Amino acid sequence: MISNFIIMDGYGLYVWLSFGVALFSCMVVYFKTKKTLKKYEQEFLTELQTLTLEEKTKVLKTSKVAQQILATSSKVN
Amino acid sequence: MFKFFSSTNIYLIIPKLIKFINSIFFLILLIGLTFALVLSPPDYLQGDSVRIMYVHVPSAWIGLACFSIITVLSVLNFIFKIKNFYFINKSIAPIGLLFTCLAIVTGSLWGQPTWGTWWAWDARLTSMLALMLFYILYILTFKLLNKEELIIKVSSFIAIIGSINLPIIKYSVEWWTTLHQPASIKITGSSSIHSEMMLPLMVMLLVFLLYGALIFLMKYKTEIIRIKKKNINRN
Repeated sequence: MISNFIIMDGYGLYVWLSFGVALFSCMVVYFKTKKTLKKYEQEFLTELQTLTLEEKTKVLKTSKVAQQILATSSKVN
Repeated sequence: MFKFFSSTNIYLIIPKLIKFINSIFFLILLIGLTFALVLSPPDYLQGDSVRIMYVHVPSAWIGLACFSIITVLSVLNFIFKIKNFYFINKSIAPIGLLFTCLAIVTGSLWGQPTWGTWWAWDARLTSMLALMLFYILYILTFKLLNKEELIIKVSSFIAIIGSINLPIIKYSVEWWTTLHQPASIKITGSSSIHSEMMLPLMVMLLVFLLYGALIFLMKYKTEIIRIKKKNINRN
């Protein structure tokens, strides 16, 4: 029964390859996108660290995005 | 209304949306794969090779839908100069390219057992290949050009020219004699696909849409961070 499921009446190679290619490429794109996002978040934080306390406070006061990136990184760390 | 759709407001919602998609994605994927690979019946003519449809058709639909969205937003950006549309387009384009490539590859894998060939230069296949090339050109503008104004102009031009190809893809199977079968699912009029195959197809479409949404949100979030980083430097 399992071998029938795998062979699929001779079409198994094409069917499994189709699903396999889709799964693999989707996973590659997912991990690549996630890695890029993390890289940019890290770069943003590094940039924030280079500012003086006064500048940093100003950025955090005006930018909700900066606040959230900092909050997320604090949670992770 | 445009203020509500500002990048900052969207950015604040993104983590919640990603969390929601992550919480339901694997369950729907499991249901979709069970239906597509186990529960759905083989076709009376194509046998089990019809299961490739559950990857091929949603991929092609999303590939086409992404380019349609890109075209509409490019035109709107041209008229109203809303920069946010440019960032949305930049985030959608790689998803459209991925699904168009998947549609071509899985179509080729379906073509070999069904038609006896991996590839034929027929109207549907060639127009899909043209769509893939338009996506590549569109993405290359972001990689190769430096000035944002120029990127917006060139990419919008490519999107508008590329949109001419969309109705060609849709009607290619009706206008010309092709190896590719005519559409089985119609928005207007009755579909010729059985409900036992329609259900897995719709579930797999939902899986692909959720995946596309997840990638879009992450890419869009990356774009916003990139802009905010630039703004820090300016201050």
